[in-house]
Amino acid sequence: MRKGHRVTDFDPGRRRLLGHLGLAGLGVLGAGPLLTACASSASGPASGGGGSKAVTLQSNLSSPQAKTAIEKLIDSFNKQGKGTASVNTIASETFRTQLPTYLTSANPPDLYTWYAGSVANDYASKGLLLDVSDVWQGLGEYPQSLRTLSTDASGKQVFVPMTNYWWGFFYRKSNFAKWGVQEPKTWAEFLSVCQTIQSKGVPPIGIGLGDTPWVASAWFDYLNIRINGAQFHRELLAGKQRFDDPKVKAVFLRWREALPYFDPKGKAYPFQEATTALLAGKTGMFLIGTFFADAAPKDALGDLDFFRFPIIDPAVPVAEEAPTDGFFASAKTGNATGTKALLSYLASVEAQEEYVRSSSGIVLPAHPKAKAADSPLVSKGKAMLESAAELTQFFNRDSSDALQPTADTALTKFIDKPDQIDAILREWQAGAEKVFKG
Amino acid sequence: MTDVSTKADTPRTTASDVAGTPRRRRRSARLSPLLAAFVLVPFAVESIWVFWPALQGFWFSLTRWDGQTPPQFIGVDNYVELVGDATFRGALINTVIWLVLFGGLSVVGGFGMALLLQRDRRGVGFYRAALFTPVVFSLVVTALVWRVFYQPDGVADSILRAIGLEHLIRPWLADPETALYAVILPALWRQIGYVMVLFLAGLKAIDPALHEAARMDGANAWQRLWHVTVPQLKGVNAVVLSVIVIDSLRSFDIVWSLTRGGPYHSSELLSTYMYSAAFQSLRLGYASAIAVVIFVLALAVILGYLVRAFREEA
Amino acid sequence: MIQKFRTGAFHSGMILLSLLWLAPVLWVVVMSTRTFDDIAAHGVGSLPHSFTLDTYRQAWTDGGELQALINSMLVTIPSVALSLALAAVGAFALSRYRIPGRRTILLLMLAGNLLPPQILLIPVQKFSELTGLYDTLWALIAVQVGFGLGFYTFVLHGFMRDLPGEIQEAATIDGAGPWQIFARVMLPLTRPALAALGALSFTWIFNDLLWAITVLRTDDRMPVTPALLALQGQFVSSWSVIAAGTVIAAVPTVAVFLRFQRHFVSGLAIGAVK
Repeated sequence: MRKGHRVTDFDPGRRRLLGHLGLAGLGVLGAGPLLTACASSASGPASGGGGSKAVTLQSNLSSPQAKTAIEKLIDSFNKQGKGTASVNTIASETFRTQLPTYLTSANPPDLYTWYAGSVANDYASKGLLLDVSDVWQGLGEYPQSLRTLSTDASGKQVFVPMTNYWWGFFYRKSNFAKWGVQEPKTWAEFLSVCQTIQSKGVPPIGIGLGDTPWVASAWFDYLNIRINGAQFHRELLAGKQRFDDPKVKAVFLRWREALPYFDPKGKAYPFQEATTALLAGKTGMFLIGTFFADAAPKDALGDLDFFRFPIIDPAVPVAEEAPTDGFFASAKTGNATGTKALLSYLASVEAQEEYVRSSSGIVLPAHPKAKAADSPLVSKGKAMLESAAELTQFFNRDSSDALQPTADTALTKFIDKPDQIDAILREWQAGAEKVFKG
Repeated sequence: MTDVSTKADTPRTTASDVAGTPRRRRRSARLSPLLAAFVLVPFAVESIWVFWPALQGFWFSLTRWDGQTPPQFIGVDNYVELVGDATFRGALINTVIWLVLFGGLSVVGGFGMALLLQRDRRGVGFYRAALFTPVVFSLVVTALVWRVFYQPDGVADSILRAIGLEHLIRPWLADPETALYAVILPALWRQIGYVMVLFLAGLKAIDPALHEAARMDGANAWQRLWHVTVPQLKGVNAVVLSVIVIDSLRSFDIVWSLTRGGPYHSSELLSTYMYSAAFQSLRLGYASAIAVVIFVLALAVILGYLVRAFREEA
Repeated sequence: MIQKFRTGAFHSGMILLSLLWLAPVLWVVVMSTRTFDDIAAHGVGSLPHSFTLDTYRQAWTDGGELQALINSMLVTIPSVALSLALAAVGAFALSRYRIPGRRTILLLMLAGNLLPPQILLIPVQKFSELTGLYDTLWALIAVQVGFGLGFYTFVLHGFMRDLPGEIQEAATIDGAGPWQIFARVMLPLTRPALAALGALSFTWIFNDLLWAITVLRTDDRMPVTPALLALQGQFVSSWSVIAAGTVIAAVPTVAVFLRFQRHFVSGLAIGAVK
């Protein structure tokens, strides 16, 4: 009920905002529907409720727990009587290719699960996303970093975060104990751990590039933010730096030192199989995001731990990959009020806690006051992100889905043919230029 | 031959018939509205759902377009870019390899199987069904099966190990040397049964009397195959050729689901490159230009054959 | 003696080949009966160490395969019927009458089939929106009919063209109009081709993925192939559930093929008439 009050309290603010929005929206493609939506919200409190059509949430959360979790959330929202909503779950691969189509269709779904950062900004710059700045009026408790992440180039908020997760080197505690190795802190320690594991006859570093070549981008991202820093990394991904820059080459030279320790079979199977291999003790450790746990038997999770990507240059501020998942809405939604009410709910402590409870658990709620799952692994992940000087999202999220294939090509080729670095980087730059050019 | 006389009587006409017999002229003069509708309705349906979108596609190939903002006309820039695009050249070469290997082997395999299984005898129904079964499976199934076949320590590796060839073991789908060929195999697995069925239908239509006559004349099995069966299959050949060319150039699902054209474009076909350009790189204009190339290639091969076939008939 | 030996060689060779061909299919069936723990412990490539049919329940109810199968049937049956009907009348007129420009029309229709479907996806999606059909099964039916027509017409044209002319002549002399000739004379003769083509188009339309995800966006309207893909997303590494879903999804096409195979093997009337 507390929530309900907040939305009502919120209404005058929204009306005041109308003027600002109208001004800010001038010349922006989304301004038309936006204005009408705001006008209808100003017409009376009733319009926020069941009077308008149900909000459709197009969701790519198709794993069983996440799907149930999001459905539960929508049920709770519907019970509150501030509007009606329905979920539409689409296989994530289908969702990814169809998202531009959904957004550009004449009568699009209202709300979408997707990623924060440059990816959302990209759609916003084309006028496809609903301005949700007034939802953010009620999100004062959120840290500035998340607000910035959810803000597009023109300064309005277009995204509402729900959860984030982290990447790290995951390993089995029992295996590390058996091999007599400890979590490495620096690159040199890391390489020596690799050496020890290899001497036990186990490929030290697992990877899964067959069908999921994007997993290799985590290596590139991390090496780049450890060597050149997050700032350079973002500029590179935004097309303001070049992939054939010597600084980028330095990343690959460093990577090459670790290549002999990669599991040669990793090229052929997807990350799910790589997860199985890690759990079965067929590889030593695996740089992966926490989503891998979806593909792991639950009893194995207790034995899992992780360490942060080793420090290479202590002078570079420590950044971590912490992809933020959440929602954005279509600029063409027929029910902006309802959509925003739902977004406000999804951003609330209770909704996020409920989501974390009913989903697989290794995610962190975006709301700073919402409690994460109570496990040592989650606390450690949370602490790591909190101690980081900067957060990055992931290769595609910091650039665009369109740039990802160029990285996949370059990185898999590098892992196969590390002595062709220069040619690979030249090709990468050429491929990236095509993407930036459009 | 009986066939020749039958054909001459059919209203399937050629250019030389324009000044044909009075009977023929009478029929063409009486073209009823019903017949016109028979042709126009299917044609209209296809126009709406294929030709019109295709024309739009051709137009898009002259634009720069991300699918979200309005397309921008850039003339033939996309085609100019294609010429200098190494990935496109690689995909073109792979497509030709694919056309020859996949197309050739499925015709040879399918025709061979059809010859073996054309006579109705015990067990033949089962064999035909067995060979055809892969055709009815969707790409998700096929990909699942073959991925496990090729995966490290999977079925392929186990077989090689069992027969003492472990030195050949490699990451089949992840090795740029083998990826393309590793994908052709499942494609053939699906295609041979299909081509076989087409040929079976054609073989059934051949008058057994022709074979009997040839046998009387002392022709051996090979001569009968070559001089009786193959010429009689002309109609089916056109269908098979169209199917093979269409499927080769459009072969997409199996490649996409097994390798996505990778590793680093080594198993890239024009169709997969087009798809990734459109739906991954969001370069719909460029992708449309690739699609136009695929279309022109297919048209050239098939029309080349059809025009020759029509001319021979004339 | 030689004959017997040849028969034996034929059968043993064919049995071996058939098993080779069916092995992957059988293997999927076997895999569908394995438990999650078995696959997690022994890998997807190993022999089964367990047996369960719960995977089918999971795929059927949790995976929503029932709804998907219904959707598939709602799309596939009308699409096959409609496209074969249209292709048959088109092929009939084009092959048996001197329609002006018939060859151009035929080649155009075939050419339409040479287009890579990917180029059509976006325009088709926009068009289905324009007509208000987007996200309905009607749109899928319409696009399946439109896209298949060229090829079906071309194939049927080939068959009808090779049918003997005398019967048609006789019917014409008896005063039959084009409709009677089509319905009473040509159609029965074309049945084998229609059966074969029907079986083929059934599998194509039933197995389609691209068009379905292009014109549909609501999960409970999706036919079986996209649903299978969703199942894959839902049961990420539950290979056995995915295999079970796969088997379920393949049953209709296998049944149709087996049913029609008999039909078009036994009923090929063309040769007999000739």
